[in-house]
Amino acid sequence: MSIRDDPAAPRWRRWLLNRFVLVPGTLAIIAIVWNAWVFTHNHGKIAGRVVDASGRAVEGAEVKLWVFNFTTFVEQASTQSKSDGSFQFTSNPSHNIQLSAEKPGVGRSRIPVRLYFQSEDLTLKQPLQLTEAATEGK
Amino acid sequence: MTRRQRRWPIHLALIAVCFVMLVPFYWVLKTSISGENIFSYPPSIVPRDPQPFYYVDVWYAIPFARYFLNSVVVSILTIVANVVLNAMAGYSLTQTFPGKQIVLMLFLSCMMIPFQATIIPAYLITGKLGLLDSYLGLALPMFSTIICIFVFKASFDAVPRSLIDAARVDGLSEWRIIWKVMMPLAKSAVATNVILSFIWSWNNFMWPLIATRSQDMQTLPLGLARFISYQEDTTGALYAFCIMVLAPGILLFLLAQKEFVQGLTTGATKG
Repeated sequence: MSIRDDPAAPRWRRWLLNRFVLVPGTLAIIAIVWNAWVFTHNHGKIAGRVVDASGRAVEGAEVKLWVFNFTTFVEQASTQSKSDGSFQFTSNPSHNIQLSAEKPGVGRSRIPVRLYFQSEDLTLKQPLQLTEAATEGK
Repeated sequence: MTRRQRRWPIHLALIAVCFVMLVPFYWVLKTSISGENIFSYPPSIVPRDPQPFYYVDVWYAIPFARYFLNSVVVSILTIVANVVLNAMAGYSLTQTFPGKQIVLMLFLSCMMIPFQATIIPAYLITGKLGLLDSYLGLALPMFSTIICIFVFKASFDAVPRSLIDAARVDGLSEWRIIWKVMMPLAKSAVATNVILSFIWSWNNFMWPLIATRSQDMQTLPLGLARFISYQEDTTGALYAFCIMVLAPGILLFLLAQKEFVQGLTTGATKG
């Protein structure tokens, strides 16, 4: 006999502890937690590093943020990498982006980045690695 | 030969039927997380590089939250109206009154008329009431369904007549008999009404297509049609959309399947 059918159980337990309340309640809690997470992590920050083929930081590489716009990617913002190769964008509005980096004489790179929600803050785990092969491949 | 041994061929056949019926669902789910082309050969049974981003694409490609809200509001209105109106109609059909057989015949014959045949009168009536492009207007033609009336009737018929007479002797009005006596005894019929009216309302495409004018009032099936017209490469995202539309109905059915089956079989063993 389930608690819902047990007449000896208190009324509030019969009302609360059944699958018609527990399942939607659990889903509601998951939705609230997820939205709280989104709300606190949607500042549009994309950070990463640019390195050359041997893994050394590249200063002054032009890094561009491309945003998917219905059918194609359009340039949203650009910046220069710092002396330690790091870069940061603070205005990403999208969830489907690409990052490209280029420095004449060193090489270029372009990677797709998928996010779980729009403007998700992200620090790239893998650096953008500039290679001549990518330059030739274009 | 034991009873269990005699039954294994039946179970084997049932497993095979379940497999055949579940494969399309699995395929939709697999494609929604892999985006694999449905024509690729050889097809992969296990999804390659599964990822959830097609769901994210769907969420942002169209106003999914708005469509979802519209579908939820219309479905809730439909469910409430179905439970209330069908219970009243079902109870009245358990009573004896002049012309009862004619009413029953009328109901049964109306079941044979497809909704498409009544869609123009339904549109005109909804328009005259000023309910086009509103939640109430979207739910109005589904406020009562004849099948669900008969589900309630079968359930109420199974209640002993003496119980209703006792309630009358105690001074309860017919209205209170329905809600205080009959409905607590007809939980399975309520569950059947809830599930059927929800699924019909949730999946309805034709009526919302005709009754809505603004984009803000569209429901999920219309959103699906719009989504297909938007996107070029739809494979993964389209299947993700299908899962997102199907999920609430499947969840509701799984939650109330015991009551649903009971509701459909109530009265079947009535001598």
